[in-house]
Amino acid sequence: MRHLFNTIVLFMLMFTACNLSPDEVTVYCTVDQVFSEPVLKDFERETGIKVKAVYDTEETKSTGVMNRLIAEKDNPQCDVLWSGDPVRNSVLQSRDITKPYQSEQTRLIPDHFKEKDSHWIGFSARARVLIYNKTLIPPDSLPRSILDFTKPRFKGRFSIANPLFGTTTFHMAALFESLGDEKAKQWMNDIKTNGAVVAASNGDVKKRVMNGEMAFGLTDTDDAFEAKKESDEVDYIFLDQQENGIGTLIMPNALSLIKGSPQNENGEKLINYLLTRETETKLAKSCAQMPLIKGTEVPENVPSLDNIQPMKIDYKTTSEKLQVIQPWLKAWTEQ
Amino acid sequence: MDRTIGKNIIRFVSFLLLFLLLALPIMLLLLQWLTAGEDTVLLSIINRENLLLIGKSLLMSGIVALLATLTGTICAFLLYKFQFPFSGFYKLTLLLPLLISPYIFAVAWKDGFFWLLGNTAAIYSEAGVILVHTIVFFPLAMLITGSALSQIHAGYEEAGLMTVSFRKMMIKIILPLIRPALTISFLLSLIFSLSDFSVPAFFCVRTFTTEIFTQFSALYNFPLAIGQSVILLLICLLFMLSEARYLSDAPFFSVSVKGSVSKKYHAGNRKIMLHSFLWMLLVSSLLMPALMLTVQSLTGRTMFFAQAWELIRPAAFQSVKLAFAGACIITIIGLWTAYGKERRNHKLPDLLLLLTFIVPSTVLGIALIRHYNLPAVNFIYGTSLILLIAYLGKFGFIASRIIGNGIKQIPVSFEEAASVAGIPSKKIFLKISLPLLIPSLFTAFVLSFILCLGELGATMMVYPPGMELMQVKTFAISANAPQALTSSMTLINLGVTVFLILLLFVFGKWIFKKFQYV
Amino acid sequence: MYKITLEHIMHSYEDKEVLQDFSFSFEQGKRTCLLGPSGCGKTTVLRLVAGLEKPAKGVIKISETVVSENGAILIPPHQRKIGFVFQDLALWPHFTVYDNIAFGLKENKEKNVKGKVAELLDLFGISDKAPKYPHQLSGGQKQMVAIARSLAMQPEILLMDEPLANIDAHLKERILQHMKDIQRQQQFTMLYVTHDQKEAMNTGDYIVVMNAGKIEAAGSKEEISHSSSRFVRSFIKT
Repeated sequence: MRHLFNTIVLFMLMFTACNLSPDEVTVYCTVDQVFSEPVLKDFERETGIKVKAVYDTEETKSTGVMNRLIAEKDNPQCDVLWSGDPVRNSVLQSRDITKPYQSEQTRLIPDHFKEKDSHWIGFSARARVLIYNKTLIPPDSLPRSILDFTKPRFKGRFSIANPLFGTTTFHMAALFESLGDEKAKQWMNDIKTNGAVVAASNGDVKKRVMNGEMAFGLTDTDDAFEAKKESDEVDYIFLDQQENGIGTLIMPNALSLIKGSPQNENGEKLINYLLTRETETKLAKSCAQMPLIKGTEVPENVPSLDNIQPMKIDYKTTSEKLQVIQPWLKAWTEQ
Repeated sequence: MDRTIGKNIIRFVSFLLLFLLLALPIMLLLLQWLTAGEDTVLLSIINRENLLLIGKSLLMSGIVALLATLTGTICAFLLYKFQFPFSGFYKLTLLLPLLISPYIFAVAWKDGFFWLLGNTAAIYSEAGVILVHTIVFFPLAMLITGSALSQIHAGYEEAGLMTVSFRKMMIKIILPLIRPALTISFLLSLIFSLSDFSVPAFFCVRTFTTEIFTQFSALYNFPLAIGQSVILLLICLLFMLSEARYLSDAPFFSVSVKGSVSKKYHAGNRKIMLHSFLWMLLVSSLLMPALMLTVQSLTGRTMFFAQAWELIRPAAFQSVKLAFAGACIITIIGLWTAYGKERRNHKLPDLLLLLTFIVPSTVLGIALIRHYNLPAVNFIYGTSLILLIAYLGKFGFIASRIIGNGIKQIPVSFEEAASVAGIPSKKIFLKISLPLLIPSLFTAFVLSFILCLGELGATMMVYPPGMELMQVKTFAISANAPQALTSSMTLINLGVTVFLILLLFVFGKWIFKKFQYV
Repeated sequence: MYKITLEHIMHSYEDKEVLQDFSFSFEQGKRTCLLGPSGCGKTTVLRLVAGLEKPAKGVIKISETVVSENGAILIPPHQRKIGFVFQDLALWPHFTVYDNIAFGLKENKEKNVKGKVAELLDLFGISDKAPKYPHQLSGGQKQMVAIARSLAMQPEILLMDEPLANIDAHLKERILQHMKDIQRQQQFTMLYVTHDQKEAMNTGDYIVVMNAGKIEAAGSKEEISHSSSRFVRSFIKT
């Protein structure tokens, strides 16, 4: 019996013998682990600060990280939130979980991609694109605008991800901002009538287009980039690039410092490290993210923001819009 | 008298500890929700729409439970009552689907449908969810009814065969005898199906659980989500308590120390039918997903097995270590609660484990975060201990039940004989009960180990920053990695689990041989 | 050599009353058989004496010491100097024959365990079975082991709960004779529960006939055979 007891105590010690050393930083990351982990490992190597990360993905609807941050509000464990888009940061800001941060590095980022009080700072952006299967639809027959999705010739041939989650929510909120509520609602109802297939996630949209189940769909640049690597049959285009077009949605990664976090200083160091040309280059190479800092080197196959007509939206108001339209989106999904 | 007080104190303190660790977080969360004072939230839960949704979810899960129990029972009949070549092979392989996450099944079946029919519309429906859930949960029913069938004494059957035909005997004698096993299979499948969100979410089918999930993760509406979870919890609790009330805890899963005492029949000329039925199940429940994963792993532009292995290796070690520790703790606590319930009539600890068992993973996760995320208990929250607590909450009940049934099978007279001979009760437990319980303990350990190794819902919510776990990593990386990498990782994940199961199986054979007394 | 006295015992299982105001004194150093149909409360009497059950009401004395009283067990079973042979024999399946007999001796730190066990094995003629496990024995051998085990601690009282059910008459006869010899030699008080009147007549110095939780008749074999009770007469006849 005593042996058993000792073993249990030893076990407990083995598992609790953890580490609250000052040289560490905790980051909650909703950017896909395949891309974010190497960058964080580099930071660890270069600064000697140990990174403790919690990864979550759009596929899991970021439930883990977001619910954790909200539940941990009174005793934060996380120093930095690295989110794939600013929506989550805005939700947290509205719940008084983030805190403003400014530094030399944050100044490199154009104002448009930062919250005005710097509750979140954007870097390396993705864009919403149309991914298509060349064997099912020739490039010249593709829709040029998102508004073309309602045309009868595309009936039942395209897919979008569940608009309640991930970047698709943000995309829809941006459409509501750009087009106005009435027109946006009409458009959403029309695509539903036109047989839009609602997929579980952007990854699911990508997969359906890749395997030829769908002719085209809406997804993010990183998914499209990945799809192109995997298959010669797919390609992607930016929508609404014509003059007077509404432009395509640009979604920066967004960093926030968590209020009252245990290692604020190391958090700041991590933020400064991420807001560099080097990091943006790494992300451009690994997942075709478009740098926001002027003069950052990018590989040839990565589009540049200079050549894309962006959707003209204010990220903060769009995030607020999103929270307003959520119930309507929910009803739309459930119809 | 002092000793009695001492014993009571120990008992009380242990219970208090279990209560503080597990039940209090959930109760505090409920209390916070109730006292939040948002009447609108309280009222808005019970409306026509929600009731309809609950009805629909219950109906779907009910069909799943019925089909899973039916399929599982047929399998159990074939495998445990008939003698034919390869029945051992079927017994083992048909259990493997238990190791695969429902989500992987959903993806594989969707891909499979597309592969075969060029169209996936049919599976994006209630029928798709029912199909996948049935395939995922029938092995559980098979395990439970199979165990019950092998406990039926040959004498009952032979006595029946004297007067009626084989078919009548099966229906009139065997089926009523395994009724507790059938009921618990039905209820467990129902509860598991009711609380899974991954499959309906993937197939875009709205159920009550996806609704709760949406409230949590899209709308961050905690009060509403918790309120809805409470309803789900009450439904599950109602089912489980009625089971306990009407079946008075009849054994539903037993590990026979004595080996099978039941009668076995020759399959005769029905062998072909039997094999084709089992192969059909094997194809749909194991080969199909495995084939899809293999095809996807091999048809990518690059082979990712090496990379996938590099990614999983550190996480695999950590996961196995944690699952091992989890299974140890679950088995020990399960033994304590089961022994208390069966021999000392202390039902509360077991009831507490039942409560945490039916709480949805997300709610359990949030309750644990709120309760443990305090500077004073950071040694729990910031470490693997929080995961061990979550595992205990999720699977303690199952272990307690398995061990409890093991205890039921030890005649009380074994302990009384020792007691009369002047052996103190601690010694009786250690020298008589414990050795006789080893097969049950081992089974509880193995099942807990498998379940811990695959647990995702609560793990995702509470795993300490910086820790790498196999199941979380496979899931998190799958988001944007090439299909071939994701499939390779899943296959490796599966391979590691199957390898460990085989190891445990070999070890188990040794254990059962050593502790088999007939 | 202890006398056992039960005074005004009431006992029930859940809602079912099994003993109603049961009083009796079992003679010391004698063999008393409790005879009666199934469910009449014989086993309960044995379990109460052993201290495995608490009497709801009433007093149980062993050799003038109160051992159980009104819902409480004052002296636990292992301090009552009793041996118990269970109906299902309760041989521990994970112990060998030797260990089954030696377990109590070893745990109670008795001296010369080996010698005592050997003596008992010899007494029952099962010395060659010492290293075997219970499942390797025949029915009769198992019964021998169970009885040997109950005698290991040299009890003053031996309680036997239908230990010879399910064995053939010839073997039963042999074991009973053996038991009687041992009892005469060691002079312990023996309570023997059975529903078989022949077995009872053959075994007991005294016989207590029970029905529905009450004593119908008690006395020597002759007294019982000439009992005026209709129940006793019909039961003895069958």
